[in-house]
Amino acid sequence: MDSLDRYSRQVIFPGIGKEGQEKLARSTVVVIGCGALGTVAATALARAGVGTLRIIDRDFIEYHNLQRQILFDEEDVRLQIPKAIAAERHLKAANSAIEVEGIVADVNYRNVERLVEGADVIVDGLDNLETRYLINDVSLKHGLPWIYGAAVSSSGMMMAVIPGRTPCIRCLFPSLPPVGQNGTCDTAGVVNAAPMAIGALQGAEAIKVLLGIETAGLISIDVWSGQFSRLNVDLQPSLDCPACHGRYEFLDARFGVRTTSLCGQNAVQVLGSGDATLSFDEVARSLRSIGQVDYNEFMLRFVVDGREMIIFPDGRAIVKGTADESAARSLYAKYVGM
Amino acid sequence: MSVTVQIPPPLRTLTGGLDKVQAAGRTVSEVINNLNSVYPGIADRIYQEGNGLNRFVSIFVNNEDIRLLAGDQTTVEDGDVVVILPLIAGGRR
Repeated sequence: MDSLDRYSRQVIFPGIGKEGQEKLARSTVVVIGCGALGTVAATALARAGVGTLRIIDRDFIEYHNLQRQILFDEEDVRLQIPKAIAAERHLKAANSAIEVEGIVADVNYRNVERLVEGADVIVDGLDNLETRYLINDVSLKHGLPWIYGAAVSSSGMMMAVIPGRTPCIRCLFPSLPPVGQNGTCDTAGVVNAAPMAIGALQGAEAIKVLLGIETAGLISIDVWSGQFSRLNVDLQPSLDCPACHGRYEFLDARFGVRTTSLCGQNAVQVLGSGDATLSFDEVARSLRSIGQVDYNEFMLRFVVDGREMIIFPDGRAIVKGTADESAARSLYAKYVGM
Repeated sequence: MSVTVQIPPPLRTLTGGLDKVQAAGRTVSEVINNLNSVYPGIADRIYQEGNGLNRFVSIFVNNEDIRLLAGDQTTVEDGDVVVILPLIAGGRR
């Protein structure tokens, strides 16, 4: 298939053109987090012809994701396919002319620099602020632009961070809000139009950054009340921003956590120590006498005492049916080992 | 002076669900105090205990960041639009 024919409608658009299209084909975008925002942004970028897409996500797909995570379907839920792998398959089906790599991993201070290697732009599809501040650190340290996006309830925000040229997320919001204060998809819910609009804007912003076009600043929307604002922020990095002045507090793991309660799921993620590669055959053998075990190449599911644990090859686990981080940690320690 | 204040979803529990309210004042600080007298608790979500604006909330007057103006002493005119914007995650915080 002629690639210019595939992209003919956006090549006609003067902001992109033939030259822009060729530039996109030579570009690499890393999408971190493939939920509502990530599925929309990755879809936009894949269909627009970004040459290489790396999609990173730690999670698997559940029925309540299908309301807004447009890349997935019921078959993915039934087959228990991780989001990153399902995204890779669906995006390749939508555009076989590009490279798509799905990586099942939790992005943390130990692996983030390796995972974003080679990126021209990072797109934020995350569900938590700590990891966003980690991305902000790695972006500033390596001069990699990233596109912040977030949505909850009916509202959303989006901003491109270009190191040295725009403020970063910590310039605007120097510290994290207290837990629970700003609402979560758990407590406030989410109207699908909010992340879909923000994800689409992130896709456009990523393309503009790749083509060297001036970005839109901070966008704030409310899809229910119909408020759309483009807010003017300082054009310079803030003088007292630690990240803009070489103090990468999240990348240095000063705020790192080993257990994470997962958004909207009554589940806790536990990070294994080191870079383990588990043999599921062996793990299954040792756990089979204790509880119910089944597995495929991507994950092992273990049910014991009414608790369900999903274990990934890198030693990471998701303990379901609890939001109690210490209970999850002890269950992990008991059956998987720290 | 009467201004329109846009209330973000996390603070709408304090405004009875309203996404937009009118408030009076000559400065951003007075507007927030006025808001707080009508919707108690709202100032606690914008100011840190003790002093200063919370570091995870940005405020804009007519789309301009008040940090580039005069902070919460920024003056407002009749009909101005004040946007309160807390950092949102979409996730667990």
